[in-house]
Amino acid sequence: MGAPEIVRLEGVSKRFVLLRDKSFKERLLNVSASRSHRQEFWALRDIDLSISSGTTIGLVGHNGSGKSTLLKLVGGIMQPTSGSVSRRGRLAALLELGAGFHPDLTGRENVYLNAALLGLSRRDTRAAFDQIVDFSGVESFIDTAVKFYSSGMYVRLAFAVAVHVDPDLLLVDEVLAVGDEAFQEKCLDKIREFQREGRTIVLVSHAAKQVEEMCDRVAVLHHGAMIFDGDAAEGIRVLRSQTDDTV
Amino acid sequence: MTSSAASQPPDRAQRLATLPMEKTSAKIPFFASGLPTLREIWRRRELVGLLVRRELRARYKGSSLGILWSLIKPLAQLLVYYFAIGQILGAARSIPSFAIFVFIGLTTWTLATEILTSGTRSIVDNAGLVKKVTLPREIFPLAAVGGALVNLGIQFIVLVVAMIAVGEFPLNWGALWVIPSLLLVVTFSSAIAVLLAALNVYLRDIQHLVEVVLIVAFWTSPIVYAYSFVSNLSLGWVLDAYLLNPITLGVLGMQRALWVAGAGIPGSFPTHLGLRIVIAFLISAVLLWISHRIFQKLQGNFAQEL
Repeated sequence: MGAPEIVRLEGVSKRFVLLRDKSFKERLLNVSASRSHRQEFWALRDIDLSISSGTTIGLVGHNGSGKSTLLKLVGGIMQPTSGSVSRRGRLAALLELGAGFHPDLTGRENVYLNAALLGLSRRDTRAAFDQIVDFSGVESFIDTAVKFYSSGMYVRLAFAVAVHVDPDLLLVDEVLAVGDEAFQEKCLDKIREFQREGRTIVLVSHAAKQVEEMCDRVAVLHHGAMIFDGDAAEGIRVLRSQTDDTV
Repeated sequence: MTSSAASQPPDRAQRLATLPMEKTSAKIPFFASGLPTLREIWRRRELVGLLVRRELRARYKGSSLGILWSLIKPLAQLLVYYFAIGQILGAARSIPSFAIFVFIGLTTWTLATEILTSGTRSIVDNAGLVKKVTLPREIFPLAAVGGALVNLGIQFIVLVVAMIAVGEFPLNWGALWVIPSLLLVVTFSSAIAVLLAALNVYLRDIQHLVEVVLIVAFWTSPIVYAYSFVSNLSLGWVLDAYLLNPITLGVLGMQRALWVAGAGIPGSFPTHLGLRIVIAFLISAVLLWISHRIFQKLQGNFAQEL
């Protein structure tokens, strides 16, 4: 039996409309001219992508190539302008570490809140709580408000929560470069463990070396179009060859 | 299929294979029940509770009186209205137990305003989460409603204590008017809040507009004056219009339930108050459905507009 498909994108395009005027007054004054104040911008054009479960796929490309937008579409945070996105299984999106952390709440309270945001029930969180704290290495400060944390402690705790939600599909956006070297090693170990457990990982990263090491597939985006999809080493070569003709 | 995919532990793959592919991008038809979203919200109900707690904890963190502040504000308002309108302008002379009367109205009104103001801001205030986390966005206005209900609970305790202290606790079935009245206020305010929360993303002026409208609207409900003051003016259709306001009906219903001293006075309440509340509730429920549909239509672009 082949691995089941977990994400499918068909003919996905995303258009952003940039409005130059935002306030009510300006809109009233510019009713007639409002068309000319719109600026359209296609972040993604006609993307087809099918990801089978167990794959680790890297989305690479230069700034503004649309890779983060693509990740948000997969995560359902944005809706495509045209085309369709389907997926199944439990999703955890690491688009920003500690989104939903409240500075005034303690580490413990934030763990429960953040785990709930990622879809974990209170019971499951309680069961995983010691593991989370252990992984993050902030035991002695867990009942301190997180505004007193160092930035390293903050992201470590956030990362620890995120990797304990037991996702089938993990979306990661540039967040692996957190903490000191020892913690980064720990994160990478966790990612490899995820791969062994057959979880699917979609990774957006600028670190070409990291992508080449971890991913078994790479999609290269360039100005919103997918110009390569396949073997990781080959993908990185394609990416590098694009370096020179950036605008 | 890639080689690593084939070597994965089969149980996860098998489980995944049995799940249906869900379209996250499906264009939702306007005339849909919204039930799938409601199921999803129900599944995430613990999160709503946590968000409410976060709001309350964070709001009063570091203040020594803490949640008591949510009481001090309406009590200060009560004092002002009691002296300025009750004693100086003389409204208390024709309204028995004026303090209780005002506090019943204020409690109900505060519930509505809190749902409306914090509900309207809820999406914009939680922009960080809306942009980064996959979840039904209805959770944010819902958490605002939850926070308002917690504050209502605290004020209600004070109200009950006060009623017992002056010996006017409503020990009769009439007290059950509380339930439909609060249901009406919550449903109507939530309907408006959900709609405005979505619109506020596109036009931030709305959150300020709401506050201005509420200042005016305060005087269109019988909170610091009695309903009989209005009905005695024989205004004809203006009175009918006055009674179309669901919050006014909610306030009247609450007074009907809890204002013991006024129960015996003829003309304290409009005719068919119960029927009016039921009809207003049904209309509000339809409004809530409509504004939820609009919310669903608009929410697809929240992440990029914020």
